Amino acid sequence: MTELLLQTVVNATYAASYLALVAVGLVLIFGVMGIINFAHGEFYMLGAYCVVAVYADLALPFLLSVAVGLVFVSLVGMAAERALFRPMRENPLGGLVVSIGLLLILQSLATLGFGVRMEHIPPPSQTVVQLAEGVGIPLQRLVVILAAVALLGALWLFLRRTRWGWALRASAQDPEAAALQGISMAVASRIAFAIGAALAGVAGALTAPLVRTYPYMGHSVIVAAFIVIIVGGIGSLEGAVLAAIAYAFAHTFVTTFVDGVIADIVGLLLMLAVLIVKPTGLFGSRDRA
Amino acid sequence: MLLELREASVAYNMVRALHRVSMTVPPGGIVTIIGANGAGKTTALRAISGLARLAEGEIVFAGDRIDGLAPDRIAARGVGHVPEGRRVFADLTVEENLRTGAFLRRDVDQVRRDLEDVYGRFPRLAERRRQYARTLSGGEQQMLAIGRALMLRPRLLLLDEPSMGLAPVVVEEIARIVREISGTGVPIVLVEQNAEMALELADYAYVLETGSVTLQGNAEELHGNEHIRRAYLGG
Ligand SMILES: Nc1ncnc2c1ncn2[C@@H]1O[C@H](COP(=O)(O)OP(=O)(O)O)[C@@H](O)[C@H]1O
Ligand SMILES: [Mg+2]
Repeated sequence: MTELLLQTVVNATYAASYLALVAVGLVLIFGVMGIINFAHGEFYMLGAYCVVAVYADLALPFLLSVAVGLVFVSLVGMAAERALFRPMRENPLGGLVVSIGLLLILQSLATLGFGVRMEHIPPPSQTVVQLAEGVGIPLQRLVVILAAVALLGALWLFLRRTRWGWALRASAQDPEAAALQGISMAVASRIAFAIGAALAGVAGALTAPLVRTYPYMGHSVIVAAFIVIIVGGIGSLEGAVLAAIAYAFAHTFVTTFVDGVIADIVGLLLMLAVLIVKPTGLFGSRDRA
Repeated sequence: MLLELREASVAYNMVRALHRVSMTVPPGGIVTIIGANGAGKTTALRAISGLARLAEGEIVFAGDRIDGLAPDRIAARGVGHVPEGRRVFADLTVEENLRTGAFLRRDVDQVRRDLEDVYGRFPRLAERRRQYARTLSGGEQQMLAIGRALMLRPRLLLLDEPSMGLAPVVVEEIARIVREISGTGVPIVLVEQNAEMALELADYAYVLETGSVTLQGNAEELHGNEHIRRAYLGG
């Protein structure tokens, strides 16, 4: 029983890792642009398809395909920001429409390029790291956890120690006041999209061999990510990370010990409970922070 | 002239907030804009710093047209704007707020000296450098907003109702600070509902009424003006 508990903790940590990567990007973009990016799950999907194209089809090294995913999805994010989202800044309804349009376009492009079938991606490594007697973690999952810790740590340092990091936090709190300090709203938006999309792309790329890769795979992760940012307090990066951990643990434990459908319901109940007790989320101060 | 508004109009959703306003600001001293709530004072400052678009007219700063430029480009030309309601970055520390004001500057050593200058001018901010701005009192937040604008090394400083919501002693302190900053050679445009304070500080004054300039003149003269006394000075 102890072994099963520990194993479930390991599995939950893995789920929290990629969920946090997706949710933090979503929060960053919302903070700076005031737009909820419904196409964020598709950035995750594009990252996975970079692995399909570069690693599975071209047979190049797995980590190279992850790097391609990071750069490619980041570029897609910047292009979308410039062409679609920037004109919709501070226009939540317009942003909503545009992001759903982008979602459909990206899904269609993936279908045109790769078909609707699920892709089989040979796991880059079959190694299982033994953590304790009867408790192991596949190396592939361990890499996701380590990458999430490293990337979120780097993001934290960037936001706290660099000039543009401060600028991004200032823009997220008050875009107009930030502009009065000489911080370009356009550049801040571009950086937010570049980072947010890159994080989702990396999450998709790293998990591609572990999940089912198909054009609509974004749905599964975006619903969880929305619950996470609402629980964490929309606009709070720390809140998103902690809520991702809370959600992943609740969901994984209920799935393991009860049932997967009940786990989804528990996730929604968690969100409802937070909304009733503290409508701004656990870490949200105002509508944005 | 350092700054000129020429027949500048601003409309929000077709409703005119500023109607063919012309103003000039010399390269030194304090110009004030007074007027009732909703007269268009904030809109005038927002037009200058690029937060509000002109429907017609032009704005010229230091010889160049700046209307139509993005707000960050206007800040880069040296327009510092302390917005209405202070709008400090609540979840940044005092020091991070001040450094954000120096965002465009690359002269790292001079920025550090200016930071110490601001702390010298506002000792209460120095005591609270590591605190989040949200924990400051209203007066302290106003000082932080002013300090943040000073970190830009402004060639022109726009102040929007720095006395708003503050206790009388704090208002006096803010007035002293405004006079001091002006004394260092920074030209100031001061927007106030507190006409008494504004006319005491300023050299020249404009009166805005429903988006139009209805009266202008030396601050001292306006202080004695019968209409001004009745409408804005409570006597
Ligand atoms: N964002 C806005 N949208 C619509 N109307 C506005 C907006 N801001 C100001 N107004 C209107 O413009 C007029 C001038 O407002 P404002 O410049 O804030 O005046 P003041 O600063 O003198 O109180 C007012 O009638 C106000 O209601
Ligand atoms: Mg005002």
